[in-house]
Amino acid sequence: MSAVVQLLLRRLGISLIVLVGVSMLVFGIARIIPGDPARIALGPNATVEQIAKLRSSMHLDESIVVQYGHFIKDLSRGDLGMSLYTNRPVTLDIAEFLPATLELVIVAGLLMIGIGLPLGRWSARYRGRLADHVIRLVSLLGVSAPSFVWAVILMLLFAFFLPLFPIAGRISDTYTIERVTGFLLVDTLWAGNFQAFSNALWHIVLPAFALALSGIGQAARLTRANMIETYDKPYIEMAQAYGFSGRRIANRFAFKPSLIPSLTIIGLDFAAMLGNAFLVEAVFAWPGLSRYGVAVILRKDLNAIIGTVLIISATFLLVNLIVDLLIAFLNPRIRHSQRQTS
Amino acid sequence: MKYWKAALAAAVFASTTVTAVAETVLRLDEVAVGELDPAKASDYADSILMFNVYDTLILPAQGGPGHTGHLAESWSSEGNSFTFKLRDDVTFQSGNPLTADDVVFSLDRMKALGSGLSYLFGVVESAEKVDDLTVTFNLESPYAPFVASLVRLPIVDKKLVMENLGEGDGDMKDWGTAFMSANSAGTGAYSVKSHNPQEETVMVKNADYFLSVADAAPDTVRLRYGLEAATVRALISKGEHDIASQWLPPEVVSALAKDGAQLFTEAGTGAFYFKMNTTKAPLDDANCRLALAHAFDYSTAIKMIAISDDISAGSAATGAIPVGMYGSNPADQILAQDMDKAKEYLAACKYDPSEMDIEVSWIAEVPLEERFALLMQSNFTALGIKSHINKMPWALFAEQVAKAENTPHISQLFVNAVTGDPDTLLYGMYHSSTPGTWQSPEHLNDSVVDEMLDAGRSAASPEDRAAAYSKLNARLMEIAATIYGFDRQSVFAASNRVKAPALTDASKAFGLDGLGFSFRLMEMTE
Amino acid sequence: MKRTLIILLRNPLSLLGVLLVLMVIVLAVFADFIAPFPDHKGAVVDFVYFNQAPSDRNLMGTDLVGRDLFSRIIYAYRISLMLGVVVLVISVPIGVLAGLFAGYRGGKTEFVLMRLTDVFLSIPPLVLAIAMMGVLEPTLLNAMLAVTAMWWPWYARLVYNVARSEREEGYVLAAEVIGASQWHICFREILPNCLPAVITKMTLDMGFVIIIASSLSFLGLGVQPPTPDLGSMVAEGARYLPDSWWLTVFPGLAILVAVFGFNLIGDALREILGAEQ
Repeated sequence: MSAVVQLLLRRLGISLIVLVGVSMLVFGIARIIPGDPARIALGPNATVEQIAKLRSSMHLDESIVVQYGHFIKDLSRGDLGMSLYTNRPVTLDIAEFLPATLELVIVAGLLMIGIGLPLGRWSARYRGRLADHVIRLVSLLGVSAPSFVWAVILMLLFAFFLPLFPIAGRISDTYTIERVTGFLLVDTLWAGNFQAFSNALWHIVLPAFALALSGIGQAARLTRANMIETYDKPYIEMAQAYGFSGRRIANRFAFKPSLIPSLTIIGLDFAAMLGNAFLVEAVFAWPGLSRYGVAVILRKDLNAIIGTVLIISATFLLVNLIVDLLIAFLNPRIRHSQRQTS
Repeated sequence: MKYWKAALAAAVFASTTVTAVAETVLRLDEVAVGELDPAKASDYADSILMFNVYDTLILPAQGGPGHTGHLAESWSSEGNSFTFKLRDDVTFQSGNPLTADDVVFSLDRMKALGSGLSYLFGVVESAEKVDDLTVTFNLESPYAPFVASLVRLPIVDKKLVMENLGEGDGDMKDWGTAFMSANSAGTGAYSVKSHNPQEETVMVKNADYFLSVADAAPDTVRLRYGLEAATVRALISKGEHDIASQWLPPEVVSALAKDGAQLFTEAGTGAFYFKMNTTKAPLDDANCRLALAHAFDYSTAIKMIAISDDISAGSAATGAIPVGMYGSNPADQILAQDMDKAKEYLAACKYDPSEMDIEVSWIAEVPLEERFALLMQSNFTALGIKSHINKMPWALFAEQVAKAENTPHISQLFVNAVTGDPDTLLYGMYHSSTPGTWQSPEHLNDSVVDEMLDAGRSAASPEDRAAAYSKLNARLMEIAATIYGFDRQSVFAASNRVKAPALTDASKAFGLDGLGFSFRLMEMTE
Repeated sequence: MKRTLIILLRNPLSLLGVLLVLMVIVLAVFADFIAPFPDHKGAVVDFVYFNQAPSDRNLMGTDLVGRDLFSRIIYAYRISLMLGVVVLVISVPIGVLAGLFAGYRGGKTEFVLMRLTDVFLSIPPLVLAIAMMGVLEPTLLNAMLAVTAMWWPWYARLVYNVARSEREEGYVLAAEVIGASQWHICFREILPNCLPAVITKMTLDMGFVIIIASSLSFLGLGVQPPTPDLGSMVAEGARYLPDSWWLTVFPGLAILVAVFGFNLIGDALREILGAEQ
């Protein structure tokens, strides 16, 4: 266990360094913004004094290094500044919108694992046969379009032409659910309201699928490739010689070892989903962080842009940390090495 | 596994059952975020909130000119001071009674915050309490539209606000802005149940409203923000939404109308403008501007906004002032494209047409404007003038117009008279003292225009005002700082669950943007 | 090389990929001759034919100002392909250099360069590009810049992994012993071993760049109208669902077809080159 703890600490350290780097990068990007953010924030009727006051309260008149210092100091207190767009603390806005996005991404991630891995396993087991070809083609199609195209196609097919699913939102407005975690699927269960839970579930199906499709394709392709590599190993031949069933060989000897490299990529795909949520949320009017992100970017709301990107990156690092740990538990050989598998 | 199946079955079940609700709910949407603080209210979404959560001293008369008392019973004027007598039966939603102190406080707060439409009250020197139910406004100079501008002075609950001051410098700290941006402090017929500026504001009927409200008026109102056009379209078709915002593209409104939706309209207080930067070559030469104004294809523009055979999002412009306002031209003298004249003016322009490159901008949030940009571009090409299109988010546009050199050659804007009076429409756009706001990307500096605008606001009688605005109209057409696209009419697609006489019956219309959305005057039919 | 090509053309799937990509390239290059309405790529209005469903005159219907959608999609391919090529041409050399250096030199160079790639890779790809486009003016050039900025680290990581393992190989040690320069070892010895992986990734990435670029313009942060672009066409058309379905379906399928083509080729290449190694 100590080796795992050591690994955890090391990855945590690296993640922190990376996070500081991300904050510098994002901060740098946000400060080369053209136009005066204070003036944009206050709108066309603002007076010169009001603008000057806001500029000084945002430290816009000081050097970028000093500005960054202020930023880090505030950040350590959990203060990301005020959003100029909503007039509320950025942390409050993020706390409000992040759960909806995470809920969507997590459900999509579950779909990716729950559908992608079995498809890949199946494809590898029946390598070269019809099922394999069909799965390969379909999964390649899945990765061949941006998620907004899938979102539009799914919406058109399953919300407009076959009105099976709702077109927008997270839950029907006849339900009032007390906010506990912000995750509707959790909050509805917490409240013991199963009808509301199924309603929320019904709302998340299309957006989650749109978001997951390319991930499903990716996971299936990857699992197949890794399993086929394993199938060529001598111990499989031995297992076959011993007379283990094809199914047992697939599950036990080929699938499990191939999980490890797949997991790393799944971590990366999770990242891609955090980004792609921007597209899917726009199509399905999903009230998440991404919609907020696009809105603040269009309005050049500095604090909110920095806060949003930083939070998304931190989430992503956290996921990768968890993935690394999982790998360490699954495969003792990896404990001592770096992430070479990627 | 079993549980999962149960959940799925429940999902299917939930989608087919109709939940029976005893109370009536009205659902509508707006594109922008909702600002609940009435002193910061400026756009349509804000106005809807303001007119329902707060009340004003007076209201425009329905179906005609003039104003009627609302929170005020009566009023009188003497020189530059106006005295209002308040009703004695009004209480705020908090239970506090309405007094003259609240009116004084509301004006002071509006002026101190200096945002939203506070510029309307720049001419007001002070408000004074005479007794508990009497208040006097003193103006610095004669200002004919003053009474009209009171429709934008919502009265806030002084006591409640003072109890909820946030952090800030000075005696008044933040003037309660933190509190007011999330809570209601008004007398209005609806109180705020929850408010999330990006998502939704939920309002409920105020049982203690000082006027009687029909039982059929909606019990709960959900105002949602930022819905996509396709979403609104689908929700209305499915009976899950009641009134769409006016910003739906005409094709979508017309598709809804074909599906059986009714159409609400609100007309007559504004227009759609193509504003030319009069300080930037080649548009600093009036002949060039006149050439562009004559090359514009007005009749196609009208076709582009048609929704059905008899309803359109606007009517043909006749000049610089929308039909129906002081100084406007008759409705049948419509503007039309005239390429011969355009060529004449272009020949008289001091710049070489082959060297021109006109920047036509459009506001990213209003996709319809892209089509107008394309229309202009093709019209200008026919005249031999090159142009390019630039899409700008609203925030960026509002920042860039502050400086004449950053303002695009042509900016497209909907502007409406926020009080219904032509002064609030025209003064902000054209007076040389108000350049560089989003309303005035012309950066116009014309002494004749200034003179007429000043005459229009200080004239004593309606006839004198009409005469001044009539002259102003002629002058504006002569210098062509603006291409007058069409007189605006807002069109809203609505379900058949709701009746809104103020938006369907001309004799009940207020002639003031947003006031037609007084929910207390609406009726739910289901 | 020739052998690779033969294998590519023999497999029906990769042949399909080659055909799709060829079709897209031909459409893009000869757009002026193929498009039924070449002038519709720009600011043209034709209100007689606006918002028309697909018909004989307009194969894929017309948009809201009456422009032929098929013509605009063909011209949009031009932008997509150009963007893909430019992004890869800039980002691949940068990434390869960074990866080679970090992998071969090790030590501080490795630490700094690889942490830098980690920083870039820690921001979900689209989010970094979105943040950059948020502060830059939305133009074609800036879109290329933003996508390039998020792309090079992938190549750095890829080449780094190969270079690091090659560093310990006998032939590299041998070259060092006989006094070959660092440059020689990097470019002459190690680089050729990375090339198959890099080339395969480039083919697959053509598709991904098209996806990312269209995603940016879908959000209104990329190429600006009236320049035709597949992503912004889908975004614009999505307002008019379901009535004017052709406005979104055809540009969406156009993206799918192009990216699918590149992916089919990339997949096949991966198998062929991977097997050869």
